[in-house]
Amino acid sequence: MSKRVGIVGAGVTPFKAIWREKTYYELAQMATREAVKDANIDIKDVEAAFYGIYNDIFERTAIPEHAIHGLLGMQNKFGIRITTGGATGAYTMSAAHAYLAAGRFKTALVLGVEKATDCFDFLSMSATPEVIKAIGWSGDSFFEQGIGWSASDSYAEVVLGYMDEHPGDLKPEITAQISSQLSQQVKGNKYAQRQFDQVTPEEVMNSRLVVYPFKELEICVYTEGAAALILAEEETAKTISKNNGTPIVWITGVGESNEHSFAGKNQKIMSRIMSDYYGSHRAYEMAGIKDPTKSIDIVELHDAFVHQLEITMAEFGLVPLGRADSLIEDGLMLSGGKYLVNPCGGLIYCGHAVGASNIMSAWSARNELIKRKLKTALVHGTGSTIAQYTACLIFEHE
Amino acid sequence: MKKQKEKVIPSYYIPDVGSHVTTIDGKDYLIANDAMFTFYRRTKGEFSPFFLALRDEKRLLGCKCSKCGLVRVPPFLTHCPDCNFAPTELIEVDQVGIMNSTPPITYFATSLFQHMAPYGRGRVIFKGADTAMSINLYTTTGILTPGIIKKGTEVKLVFRDERIGEMRDVFSIPTAELTREQINKKGLQESEIDWETPVEPPLTKASDQDVKVYKEALKEIKSIIHEMNRNERARKDIVGWKRNIQVKTRGGQFAILINDGDIKVEEKKRPSPDFKIVCDDPRTLLDGLAYRGAITDSVINKKLWISKNMEFSTIFKIDRMARSVARSKKA
Repeated sequence: MSKRVGIVGAGVTPFKAIWREKTYYELAQMATREAVKDANIDIKDVEAAFYGIYNDIFERTAIPEHAIHGLLGMQNKFGIRITTGGATGAYTMSAAHAYLAAGRFKTALVLGVEKATDCFDFLSMSATPEVIKAIGWSGDSFFEQGIGWSASDSYAEVVLGYMDEHPGDLKPEITAQISSQLSQQVKGNKYAQRQFDQVTPEEVMNSRLVVYPFKELEICVYTEGAAALILAEEETAKTISKNNGTPIVWITGVGESNEHSFAGKNQKIMSRIMSDYYGSHRAYEMAGIKDPTKSIDIVELHDAFVHQLEITMAEFGLVPLGRADSLIEDGLMLSGGKYLVNPCGGLIYCGHAVGASNIMSAWSARNELIKRKLKTALVHGTGSTIAQYTACLIFEHE
Repeated sequence: MKKQKEKVIPSYYIPDVGSHVTTIDGKDYLIANDAMFTFYRRTKGEFSPFFLALRDEKRLLGCKCSKCGLVRVPPFLTHCPDCNFAPTELIEVDQVGIMNSTPPITYFATSLFQHMAPYGRGRVIFKGADTAMSINLYTTTGILTPGIIKKGTEVKLVFRDERIGEMRDVFSIPTAELTREQINKKGLQESEIDWETPVEPPLTKASDQDVKVYKEALKEIKSIIHEMNRNERARKDIVGWKRNIQVKTRGGQFAILINDGDIKVEEKKRPSPDFKIVCDDPRTLLDGLAYRGAITDSVINKKLWISKNMEFSTIFKIDRMARSVARSKKA
C-alpha cells in the first residue's frame, strides 16, 4: 500500500523580471534555505532531490541541476531533474510524490528554479524576443519551429479552437475583468514580480495585441526565481509538523496527461484541453473527490493566458464548457465567490519562472489552506505545444 | 533552388564580444555578451521524401495506414500507433484544404521571426488528408487581420520560388483571393500571385479645422513625449534603439526621434526617415501615446499606417513607453 505524503516546508525567492544580483545557483539555494527553515529541519535530513528546471537554454547549460546538487548539500544522495515544459513544476511534485508514496525515501526536496531573462536580443536591445525564441526551440523541430511556432501562438490555437466551438464565451470584457482581478489579488503576495501593478479592465482591453487573440495584459510574464518544498511520508511528516508547529498539507491526489501534438482526426481536439480534463479527473479519483464543485476551495491554476485559465476551469469541471465566463458573470471567482482562484496573482502577476512556477503555486495553495482554514486545493501545471501536457495535484489541509 | 551565401546564423544577430558592469545598491555586477551555439548536419531521415517532394516536385505527401486508412499530412510517422504499428505508405494529397480551426496571428514575434511579423500560423486539412498540417498563412490584401482566415476557410498551398526542403518552402492563402486557374494549378508559386504592394495612403486636403486639430494634438503629443523622456522606466524601453520616424497627418507632419534612451519631437520633415507613420487624424497617435489604446492595434485596424512591417518592433516600444509612464503615475 502506498504511503501518505505531505508538505512540511516551503519557500520561495522574490520573483523578479531579472536578477542581476544572482545566478540560478544562488536562487536555488535561497529557496532551499527558506524551505528547510520553514520545516525546521537540517538539509542533512532530506534524502532526495527533485529538480524542476524547464529549459537548458535559459540556464545556458545542459543538465543544469548537476551544479546545484552539491551546493544544496545533497551530495551523494538521489537527484533527478524533471522537464516537461510549462508543466515542469507540477510534474516534479508528481514525481517526488510517487517516490515517497512508494517508500523509496522518507523526505524529499522539490526545487524549481529558472533564470530566463539572461537571454537577450541584440537587435531589438531587449530580452523578451530572445526569451520567447529560447522557448521556441521547444516546438516541433521538423514541422513547426521554422515557421514561427511560439508558446503564445500554440496556446492561441487552442483558445481560438475553443472559441470556434463556443463563440459566445471568453468575451473580451470578461478576460479583461479576470486579469484585473488577478492584479488586485497579487497585492498580498510580497514575492510577486508585479505586486504593485494593478490594472483596470479598461486598461487590459486597451493593451496591445501580442498574438491574436491575446493582449499584453492577458499573458503571463517571464520571471526569474526559485521555489522549494519539503515533502515527507506520513510518519516523518507528523514528526516534523510536531516540531515546527505547522499543520501538514497532504497530497491526496495526483493526475497527469499528455496529449497528441498533431491535430485532426484521432489527434488533438483543438477546441479542448483534454490533458487538463484527464489530469484533474485522475487527481480527483485518487483523492476520492466525486464532485469537484463541492470539494474544491482553492485553485492555483497555471494561467499562461487568461483565456486558457477560463478553459482550464471548465476542463476541471468547475464551470460548464461553453460557460466559462460564468466565473465572473455568476461571481464564482469574484471576491467572496465559490472558488478562490490564484490568490497569489497567478503567473500573469506573480510571474512565470517556468520550472519554479507550479511549485510557487503549491507554496501559495499551502499557505492559503492553512491561513484561511480551508480544506481542499487543486494545483495545476500546463505546458508544451497546444497545451499538450498537464499535471494536477490535490492538497488537503488536515 | 538553394539560396547561396546565406549563413545559418545571419551576422546581424551576432553581438560583439564584450561585457559591462551594472551597479545595484552600491554593488557591481559583471554582465557578459554570450551565446550557446551548435551547428548541425541534421538528417531529415524518414521525412526526406516529404521534404524532397516539396522542394523538387512541388508535391504534397502524406502517409496512409495500411490497416485503418487514416491519412496523416505531413507524414510524421511510418507505422500507425492506432493499429499496433501497422505500416503506412506515402501518398500524394491535394493542394487545397480547409482550416481545422481559426489561426492565431503573431504581431510580436520571437527574435528569429520579427522580420516575418505579422504572420498567421494555423493548421490545414488538405483534401485527401485526415490530419492537419501546420503552415504559415498570408493574405494578398496587406496585413493579416482577425477575421480574414477562420475555421473552415478554404486555402491553397503556395510554393516559395526558392525552396530548401523546409516547411517554410510553402504557405497558404485563402482561395477566395485567387483565380480558378490558380486554385486548380498544382505547384502554384508565390511569384504567380498578385500581392498588394504597400502604398502610402493618400491624405485628403486639410481644412482649417484639420489644421487646428493637428496643432492641438501636436501640443499634447509634445507634452507626452517630453514626459516620456523624463521618465526613467520609459527611457529604459528604448535603450540602444535609434529611429527617425516621419509622422504624416492630414493637418501637418512632424518627426519623432528616438536615440538610445532619448525621445523627442521635431516639427520638420526628415530627409530620410527610418520609416513613416501615416494617420489621417493625429488624435489616433495621440491616444496611443496617452495610453488610451494601443498604437499596435491602430496599425492592425488600419487607422494608422506604417511603411515597414518590421517596424512593428518600434511601435511595440512606443506602446511600452506609454504603459511605463502610466505605471509610474500609479506607483
